[in-house]
Amino acid sequence: MSDLLLDNEQARRWIKTLGLPIPVPERRARARGPYEERPLENKRVLVGGSGALQDVLAQTLTRAGANPVIIGDTDAVLKPFLGPGEAWARPPSHMASGDAPEGERVDAIVFDGTKLHSPADLHALYDVMHPWIRRLNRSGRVIVLGRPAGDAKKPARAATRAGLEGFVRSVAKEVGNVGATANSVFVEDGAEGRLEPVLRFLLSPRSAFVTCQPFHVTKLAKGESAPDIQPLEGKVALVTGAARGIGEATAELMAAEGAHVVCLDRPADDGPTSEVARRIGGSVLLVDITDEDAPERIAADLRERFGGVDIVVHNAGVTRDKTLGRMKSDAWDMAVDINLGAVVRITDALLSDDLVRKEGRIICLSSVSGIAGNRGQTNYSASKAGIVGFVRALAPQVAKKGITVNAIAPGFIETRLTTAMPVAIREGARRLSAVGQGGKPEDVGQMITFLSTPGASGLSGETVRVCGGALVGA
Amino acid sequence: MSKKKNGWGKKQRAVIVSGARTPFVKAFGKFLKLDSIDLADAAVKALLERTELPHEEVDSIVWGGVIFPSLAPNIAREVALDLRLPASVEGMTCTRACATGLQAVTLAAAAIERGEADVVIAGGSDSTSNAPLNLPQKAVHALAPLAFGKASSPSDYLSVLAQMMPITDVLPKMPKIAERTTGQVMGESAEEMAKRNGITRDAQDHFAERSHHRAAHAISTGRFDEEVVPVESPEGAVYTDNIVRGDTSVEKLSRLRPVFASDGTVTAGNASPLTDGAAAVLVMSEAKAKALGYTPLAAIRSWAYVGVDPADQLLIGPALAMPKALDRAGMELKDASVVDMHEAFAAQVLSVTKALGSKAFAEVRLGKGSAVGEIDEDRFNLYGGSISIGHPFAATGARMVTTMANELAQGQHETALLGICAAGGLGAAAVLEAVA
Repeated sequence: MSDLLLDNEQARRWIKTLGLPIPVPERRARARGPYEERPLENKRVLVGGSGALQDVLAQTLTRAGANPVIIGDTDAVLKPFLGPGEAWARPPSHMASGDAPEGERVDAIVFDGTKLHSPADLHALYDVMHPWIRRLNRSGRVIVLGRPAGDAKKPARAATRAGLEGFVRSVAKEVGNVGATANSVFVEDGAEGRLEPVLRFLLSPRSAFVTCQPFHVTKLAKGESAPDIQPLEGKVALVTGAARGIGEATAELMAAEGAHVVCLDRPADDGPTSEVARRIGGSVLLVDITDEDAPERIAADLRERFGGVDIVVHNAGVTRDKTLGRMKSDAWDMAVDINLGAVVRITDALLSDDLVRKEGRIICLSSVSGIAGNRGQTNYSASKAGIVGFVRALAPQVAKKGITVNAIAPGFIETRLTTAMPVAIREGARRLSAVGQGGKPEDVGQMITFLSTPGASGLSGETVRVCGGALVGA
Repeated sequence: MSKKKNGWGKKQRAVIVSGARTPFVKAFGKFLKLDSIDLADAAVKALLERTELPHEEVDSIVWGGVIFPSLAPNIAREVALDLRLPASVEGMTCTRACATGLQAVTLAAAAIERGEADVVIAGGSDSTSNAPLNLPQKAVHALAPLAFGKASSPSDYLSVLAQMMPITDVLPKMPKIAERTTGQVMGESAEEMAKRNGITRDAQDHFAERSHHRAAHAISTGRFDEEVVPVESPEGAVYTDNIVRGDTSVEKLSRLRPVFASDGTVTAGNASPLTDGAAAVLVMSEAKAKALGYTPLAAIRSWAYVGVDPADQLLIGPALAMPKALDRAGMELKDASVVDMHEAFAAQVLSVTKALGSKAFAEVRLGKGSAVGEIDEDRFNLYGGSISIGHPFAATGARMVTTMANELAQGQHETALLGICAAGGLGAAAVLEAVA
């Protein structure tokens, strides 16, 4: 579980002192405690570009406590920031475009690319990012905003919009060594009001291991206003595989935001499951999800005790790795059934029983392996890619009730699964990401928790990678 | 008095009959030997003498304190006992940082409006000079076996000694005015507010100069004679506030160094000083005042308390509390004939007035369509404020109530709006009205 280059201060010091040719991974800033009112307190956020999202940006940044620095030549760019800036005593400062002044540094760069129409317009992105990218502080953030390419009528416009995504994927790999991340957010016309919580999350330390990732904010699912703090107050959340690892971290984080968490795990894991539930003031549900009557029992339990459920996290999963030629039939069945079959059956049971409440959240665990493939994981990849298809198809079907369905694809996360890897492969896999290190269960838990909040109503049908910008699959 | 539409109703009106305060004296000066209770005694005694109030009429004392005498924290009851008031005069002591004095007055008013009491003495006192130095908990816990007689053998005593290492861990810590949650000293918060609201050093120094000149003018013209009473102290009698500098100027103030940041703007000159003092207010139901033959100075119309995030703008509270109190009074800012704001720091006052004048602030923070309003110079802090007069934390609110009640009693003004910022991100406001 311990990464020598990250956790061992002595090792880090020696490598640096001796000048060994080993890149020492940057320690990333992580959030402590539940959601804050102003997650960006006193952070300098450079805002470049111009377009439809300036008002949302101004409101988001000032309310979150950031000090906006506007780059651009006209007062028009500055204007949207004046009102909210004055209300929160965070008047925007202004910088001329061109070279960054000596000594100036920023904690985040946000580029509004919603006005870019032709490939030549992409130069605006270069103009803002080029002088500032090396002035980005440690654990900084780069966010590029745009309109979805698919919505463009003209191919040239679609090309321009899609270009933003490629830019972000590469820039993420350039800033990863200082623990910084880069993500793109494509906002559907009319969904601007749903951008703020997404931005708050991505700009905060909670998104420490989310990078290279495009997000699509849509108005697909109905959503209401979202509280900044304690967003899960009064919600009931079911988390499968809650005894340890990502499930445990998720249960803890959700409880901290006010949710009552039902911790589900196998009867054999009674001990650790109960301990987690006791620690977070949740409850226990011991079911083997592969049992034939499992969906029915889970539904019955949630109905009786809570009259329904708001959040379902399908986290339980297994690996049964073997190259295809050597894989036994039951290894195939087990992986596919737990990782995909049970998820489908349980979700169906809960939905057909109408147990998932209005504005519910369903979050399924996929894997980077399901996106990129992995030697020896044909069964696992099939099940995890299946999840991607499942959420994409289910999302529009339940959107009317305001329910969102998303998948999370973790990369290398320091859990029981990865501790079991052979040391050489493990050490290699850890370094094969933009941030040069593995993620922690809480990194995935933070993403899951965010997707479960009312503020994430704009995200549905998405597969979000939490992989630190893995070399493969990104 | 029908204010029912916003849930602000009352059975009977609470009125201010009189107010008295000690001179406000720089900490570690002439009041060094008087602790918070002594100062409270002096103010209440003078109030009772001036009003010639029969002692048996007093129902209770509501007193405020911020730094408490550790052996007798319920100052209110100690005052009643010290002054040999009837044993039936009960007492409670409240605390709300710098808004404590106003809190005591509004607690009294609330009790009267509900019909719980008819005659209440409210006020507050603080002696920064007598702030207790507490032993760190580590020392207290280590010493507990000795205090409870549990230590018997020499090795027990040695073990107690051993726990006292290193010695710096068990020495008393200097008290400071820092936020418990953020660790920020209040001056640093003011510094941050100045920076974020764009309040210049010059603007702050001008405000401080104005405060001193107005207070000095008030003293020289006898404006405070109604309220300030001489106090005998072991260091000699004190007749008047001793912090006010009528001869100060922007030029002199601009020479002072910033205290909280090397490139800062907050100086000793444009901040309120540590002060010792007490202020007391006699609050009655209108009917009782009439029955006892008093002419009330003013009535209490509404009040409001708010909280803001201490990590944001710690002292912006009045910008939210004042509109709230005005709403409850069914008034707009322009309807307030005079406005009196506690001057913790010039930077803070100017930040609050700026916020009140901002349309953006009103829209985003108050959900109003237009700015709360500008405050004209000639109706704002008429007689200076805490920067010039001084700021014994718990007394300031009662001082402001007294000064404004006396102002309304002169018959030229209809209403007075009070605003106070307080540690912990608190804000307080009240509206007083003339008694027709």
